[in-house]
Amino acid sequence: MSTGHQRLKGPGFVTPALIWTFAFFVVPFLVMGTMSLATLEGRTLVWGLSLANYAELTEKAYLWRAIMVSLEITLTVTVVSVILAYPLAWIIAYRIPPRWQRLALLLAILPFWTSYVVRSYAWLLVLAREGVVNQTLISMGLISEPITLANTRFATVTGFVHFFVMLLTLTIYANLVQLSPNYRRAAMDLGASAFQTFRHVVLPLTLPGIVTGAFLTFVLCIGDYVTPQILGGNTELTVPQVIMVQLGRRADFPLASALAIVLMAIVTLVYILSARWLRLDRL
Amino acid sequence: MTAPVTLTSLNHWFGDYHALRDITLDTDAGEYVTLLGPSGCGKTTLLSVLGGFIEPTDGTVRIGGRDMTRVPPARRPTTTMFQDYALFPHMSLRDNTAFGLRMAGVALAERHARAHEMLELVGLSHAAASRPHELSGGQRQRVALARALAVRPDVLLLDEPLGALDLKLRRSMQDELKSIQRSIGTTFVHVTHDQEEAMAIADRIVVMNAGRIEDAGTPARIYRQPSTLFAADFMGDMNHIPAQVSDGIATTAFGKLRAPNVPDGAAVLCIRPEALGISGDLDIGAATVTDTSFFGTYVRAHLRLETAPDLKVTAHLPPENPPGPGAQVQMFATTGAVSIFAKGD
Amino acid sequence: MTRLLPWLYLAAAFLFIYLPVAALVLFSFQDGGLPVPPFEGPSLRWYADILSDDDVMAALTNSLMVAVASAAVACVLGFLAAYGLARHVLPGSALIRGLLIAPLTVSYLIVGLGLLIVIQRTGLGLSLFTAGIGHVVINLPLCFAIIYASMGAQQQNAERAARDLGADEFRVITLVTLPMLAPALAAAFFLSVTLSWDEFIISFLLTRFDVTLPVEIWSMLRSGLSPRLNAIGSLVFLISVTAVLVLEIFVFRKRRP
Repeated sequence: MSTGHQRLKGPGFVTPALIWTFAFFVVPFLVMGTMSLATLEGRTLVWGLSLANYAELTEKAYLWRAIMVSLEITLTVTVVSVILAYPLAWIIAYRIPPRWQRLALLLAILPFWTSYVVRSYAWLLVLAREGVVNQTLISMGLISEPITLANTRFATVTGFVHFFVMLLTLTIYANLVQLSPNYRRAAMDLGASAFQTFRHVVLPLTLPGIVTGAFLTFVLCIGDYVTPQILGGNTELTVPQVIMVQLGRRADFPLASALAIVLMAIVTLVYILSARWLRLDRL
Repeated sequence: MTAPVTLTSLNHWFGDYHALRDITLDTDAGEYVTLLGPSGCGKTTLLSVLGGFIEPTDGTVRIGGRDMTRVPPARRPTTTMFQDYALFPHMSLRDNTAFGLRMAGVALAERHARAHEMLELVGLSHAAASRPHELSGGQRQRVALARALAVRPDVLLLDEPLGALDLKLRRSMQDELKSIQRSIGTTFVHVTHDQEEAMAIADRIVVMNAGRIEDAGTPARIYRQPSTLFAADFMGDMNHIPAQVSDGIATTAFGKLRAPNVPDGAAVLCIRPEALGISGDLDIGAATVTDTSFFGTYVRAHLRLETAPDLKVTAHLPPENPPGPGAQVQMFATTGAVSIFAKGD
Repeated sequence: MTRLLPWLYLAAAFLFIYLPVAALVLFSFQDGGLPVPPFEGPSLRWYADILSDDDVMAALTNSLMVAVASAAVACVLGFLAAYGLARHVLPGSALIRGLLIAPLTVSYLIVGLGLLIVIQRTGLGLSLFTAGIGHVVINLPLCFAIIYASMGAQQQNAERAARDLGADEFRVITLVTLPMLAPALAAAFFLSVTLSWDEFIISFLLTRFDVTLPVEIWSMLRSGLSPRLNAIGSLVFLISVTAVLVLEIFVFRKRRP
């Protein structure tokens, strides 16, 4: 078969997917970028090349605050989730007998497949004033009055951590089991303690998996609207919540677009910072 | 740094599977021992027991006279060279080699000096700053050796260390391993399934099968006078000739032989192809050559014995003027090279 | 103590992971009007309630339709692209792969927002169809990646053998490539269905009158905690878990030696 013939055929297969991605992802993204440079005068949209929306981010306290809140929550969630997920993945990979590992992993991440909305609502049940946690603590006599758990940053972080612990357990477990057991054996054979083996051998070797999982956590967490909206209430707003406010009440598409671009810029920055260790192709 | 290894009545079960059966073995300090056998024979399990990665169900492991049966790998005077080398990919060769000393709390300058000394020994001191992925298979294998030796173990355990190398490299690494072992005097225990490798390298070969030691001794003794039929077959090509033993006399198609210490009943007479030829002290009668192949130093011929037409034997004949297919030859064997085992052994 | 520690951690982790799910499912059987302790029941009244609610049932059907249709489109496009890239030498193939994967690294909110702006500009009107378009955008990268990753050299040799024996490209694809890829295709399809089935934000932004189930649940949420929501949530969870288990049992089990 001639290469000329092949060269004609390859694009034929790729074109439909490319057209789809181009029409419904690249073009909307470019339009959104252009939109972020437009302004709203009264209720009419004025196209242009204005940086007014971006200037507003620093000028208006609530916008800047939203960016900070989003960053704080996302970083907290990412760090806490990694710290909680690593031991879980470790136990499943190294303490549970191989024939039960797949089942244990499946069970550990089963609630991962619930919808965001349902999962956040379920946490509301647990954390509400009359909810499971308060009622349990009261009946145990540990507290006399219900404590405020729902509609706080704590609730938002809890809901997020629940989801991302499962995601990270999956990525870290995958990383741990593909390590040759001989690395750990070699380290111990050469006199390393269990902690030294972890510190000098296993942790550095699983760093790409951790960074990849943490990056995914960051991307999904900072862009999520549902969890902070249901669990955090309106005590403080994250960037996605502010975007939705702009779309709903004021139909301020230019400002919403600028905020979306800022979100993407943050994600891109994090991508560049972690690119050295990222293995997105290994997922 | 070297020590003798003494294994007494080792038994190990994986669930219902009896992986090691009554292993008893005594090696001298500074010996090069190979554990030889087919896959699944228990040789790697035995090595893991020596290294402390598996606690045997039963029995004791003594190294240098001290009981090590339940001592974890980190506190044993053994180190292991793993089959996949298990070099830490995120560390330079220097850091890999110095790892054990670092764990032991040796100061930086000292452990680097020692690492260089070890890399020098394996001919890689020029690459001390490289990472393992920059090396060839043979070079990685040398680093694994340097790393395992840097902590001055009494016993070095090698798990099929040459398995991943091509034939030519394997030959030269065999020589190198042996000369390194000679120069440092450490006891080496080397697992392999390749009997040529075992013979080339070992002071003592331990032949294993189905969790048991079949035979243990010098390469020459095991090759020439194997203790069991399995050891006889595993060490190289072997002609099997059926025999019937009664009162210490074996009767075969071509005559009678003395067979002391063989129980009465059906038996197998074993002769290596190179012990069969056109001269020798045991006449086994005329034979017809069915086919021959040229191997450089000898010609391998398949023959049919006149006295036992169903029996096909293989002989290594001198390469000069070999008989062609169809030729009639008078065959002889060397009595000293004949072993007789009871059938079903 | 140190031997017990891992098991204690495992137990605590599972408690944390299953606490909300347990609360959700348990109080869906609540007999009273609030899904909080104490538990009264069990009762199936809330399930009867939602199963006879036309809006909920319509939303459920819509969700399934959008999920299956968008997953099917994403799988077809993903397969064709993977085949084209894995089997043909294309100029700039690394760039094409990057472009096809790119939507994975962008939050759903941004994908939805961009589409919303464009759809409003073109005056196309929001519907289940536009939500489906959005779901294909987010599922296409996954389908492509899964299928592309499983098109290994072993497969290529089988295809070459078929071509060598006289099969044309169409027959190579239908008789060799597709059957060999069946596990990857099934994985991509079921994963897409699960993700699309309970996706919220794109559906929320891109639908108007007919909505999907998560959007319906969202609007019910405004009236606060209710065992009805527990019943719907449990149902949604059950369906997702079924899809995952089907995938696990029939696709991944078989792959193991």
